[in-house]
Amino acid sequence: MFTRTVALLLMLGCGVAAAEDAIEAWIDEPMPPGIEVVPTELDGPVFATADGKTLYTWPFHKHRNGYSGESPGKPACYDEVSTVTAGLMSPYPPGIELPDLDNRPSCTDLWPPLYADDEARTVGRWSVIARRDGTRQWAYDEQPLYTSVKDAERGDVLGASTRRYGGDSPAERKPAKPRPMVPPGFAVKTTALGRLLTTDKNASIYARADESPTSIVCRDDCTRLWHPVLAPQMARNIGAWTIEEREPGVRQWAYRGQLLYTYANDTHSWSQEGTDVAGWDNVYTQRAPAFPESFRIEETLTGTVLADANGMTIYRYICGDDSIDQLSCEHPDDTQVYRLAMCGGGDPERCLDHWRYVEASPDATDTSRSWRVVTVNKLTGRFANAEDPDALRVWAYRDRPVYTYGLDEVPGDVHGDGTGEWRGQRNGLKALWLRDDHLRGTQ
Amino acid sequence: MNAIGRSALASLLLAGVISPALADDGDYVPPGGRIGYVMTDLFWSVYQTDDGKAECPNGYNDGPREQFEALFGDGSAYSVTETQLRQEIETWHPDTEPDGFEFHEVQGDLSWGLNLDGEVSENDFMHPDGEPGIDNEVYRAVGCIIGFRGPDGVEYIFQNKAIADQAYNRMMFEITGVDSLQNDDEVTVTVYRGRDRLLTDATGTTIMPGGSQRIDLRWGKSLIRRTTGSIVNSVLTTEPIADVVIPWMNLNVPTIQIIRDFRLQLTLSPSGADGLVAGYADVEAYYKQLIRNDSTHHLSNGQISGISLYKALRRLADAHPDPETGENTAISTALDVKLAQVFIVDESGNPVPDDIVSQLD
Repeated sequence: MFTRTVALLLMLGCGVAAAEDAIEAWIDEPMPPGIEVVPTELDGPVFATADGKTLYTWPFHKHRNGYSGESPGKPACYDEVSTVTAGLMSPYPPGIELPDLDNRPSCTDLWPPLYADDEARTVGRWSVIARRDGTRQWAYDEQPLYTSVKDAERGDVLGASTRRYGGDSPAERKPAKPRPMVPPGFAVKTTALGRLLTTDKNASIYARADESPTSIVCRDDCTRLWHPVLAPQMARNIGAWTIEEREPGVRQWAYRGQLLYTYANDTHSWSQEGTDVAGWDNVYTQRAPAFPESFRIEETLTGTVLADANGMTIYRYICGDDSIDQLSCEHPDDTQVYRLAMCGGGDPERCLDHWRYVEASPDATDTSRSWRVVTVNKLTGRFANAEDPDALRVWAYRDRPVYTYGLDEVPGDVHGDGTGEWRGQRNGLKALWLRDDHLRGTQ
Repeated sequence: MNAIGRSALASLLLAGVISPALADDGDYVPPGGRIGYVMTDLFWSVYQTDDGKAECPNGYNDGPREQFEALFGDGSAYSVTETQLRQEIETWHPDTEPDGFEFHEVQGDLSWGLNLDGEVSENDFMHPDGEPGIDNEVYRAVGCIIGFRGPDGVEYIFQNKAIADQAYNRMMFEITGVDSLQNDDEVTVTVYRGRDRLLTDATGTTIMPGGSQRIDLRWGKSLIRRTTGSIVNSVLTTEPIADVVIPWMNLNVPTIQIIRDFRLQLTLSPSGADGLVAGYADVEAYYKQLIRNDSTHHLSNGQISGISLYKALRRLADAHPDPETGENTAISTALDVKLAQVFIVDESGNPVPDDIVSQLD
């Protein structure tokens, strides 16, 4: 697996600055008793309860026709079951009966609040806020905190993701995270390949594998395109970050022993364009887990996608309903009404033709926490037992089955990307982009 | 050459962008016999009168909001499945069955476009200059939908804006073997996608001639096509290309149009070109490009019912019958296009080799 991962990453020109098993460091801060920081595969370090349940916030989110989510200090997730739409997304009006009301969960059924006991007091950025029923809830940066019923083991981040999402997406929950240990002027973005190191202006950071502070390769003309990331006079070494004097008085940041640069020819934020130049790589604070061995990488008109063994583009299904709770409808445990409508007009058999599960071979096993083989009932879309006559073993990413698209005819087709409501952001498909030059690094 | 053309040419000469190979009669011979153009504007060609009554005597079509209100606005309690998802299912799994709404096709006789099939039939339009036999059934379908009409239709504005904004859409035409930009009985035309931003003036909004574009041989290699054509009185007319894929992303969704029997009719100048792209649009690609880029919300803003439009496109499709069903799979169309002169180069900044197409085979 290690060999396969390296091969894949090298094909993509991915960074060598993060060793295979390196994890992202974070800045320690005061925390309440019972709270800890847990490293995770895709999202880096997250806050969690003592029993390992990842914590989430639900930030305020502007929709086309209003707002949902929580403003600081004001919990909005309670135990009432919403029965009608909120009409937040044009053009459909509010007040329409939601599906599966017989077993529709409330917000807190899915997102249990992190309650605080009577003794709890403010600690650093952690505070205690009052819920309208008189109970007390922990908040981080004043955002109320919750756990997710989808998380079962320490390190699971299955309730939501730190991946960037678009403005017409549902009001997503976000994992609560400590600040990454990066000096001022740097940032980290979650991508399909790992936690990408950037400047705080979203310019990608690059490094050369063949360069070290005592053996600098990029000098003179090279620095016209590759700009050393300079450290201010007040900056000091911290953790894996060191300041190297590449020339007298010129102090350059290095991370894990590698000098850092930006690339003048990058045309957009979070770019991978610099990796097209031999010797240069993006820098990751930690890499994403390896893809299943049977998967391939394909070039499209837009960029690079993950593909199945036949080269067909792999898609994630993204869904959030239009209730005031903005509940997910993309997981096998969620209502399947939306997915079945979009993939087959309500007909499960048509779904199997239009959105094809990526089946796992009989000997395939989980390759990581993020890429797992799960068994679903192919008609209902729910998790199933192997004895179920309609059971299918399929690949799942973050516990959600992935698909190929029936109208993609040849490797490199991405006709399914943006299929579904709101350009695939609310009840539809998004390709699993590994490099998205023509989407300007937004995926 | 008109006054504007002379002015633009003078600017280029002053800037040293083009060599002064201008003959006494105003003709222009591009350096090395090659000149490139990059697309800056692209609209579905819609002939419209000021009040729209000549072409749309029955008014404009309703969109998703109006149709939703008509179907479900009676005050009854409805479910998501009965309403929103029903409409989305019909949008994403369209069919040709009637939807219960009257669809207003264009009723006028006039249309922009070309005579694609060389015939004059009763279903054809007449060009405003009097030429009969114009094939443009896309116009018949979309001409009475306000989203496709200028100057403020949602498609008219945003699909066109994306042409300049998005490098994904950077279509280019290079004409080689040019002895004269006024008259040349045989030239070669190659279609590429570029990789770079467009050159603008200091405002950042006015696109200027004289820029350079590297051809996209990584993501856009499959888009390269070649044909021949002729130039008569500064108008380039090309021979049809079997199919050209036009990458046309609007709101960050990587979509394409497929134009079969693709041809160009462009008025050329040293600083730019304008005219028509014409051919037969693949119906399924046309529809998916529209609804993937524009959600039902965006379509609503242009009163575009994807459900109704799909039925019209299928009904009016007039070419490329499916060998099994006999149903036409493509629909005649024309697009208004504007282009700016550009130097088309390879990754090293050199002119693209003449044998690039055979190299890629």
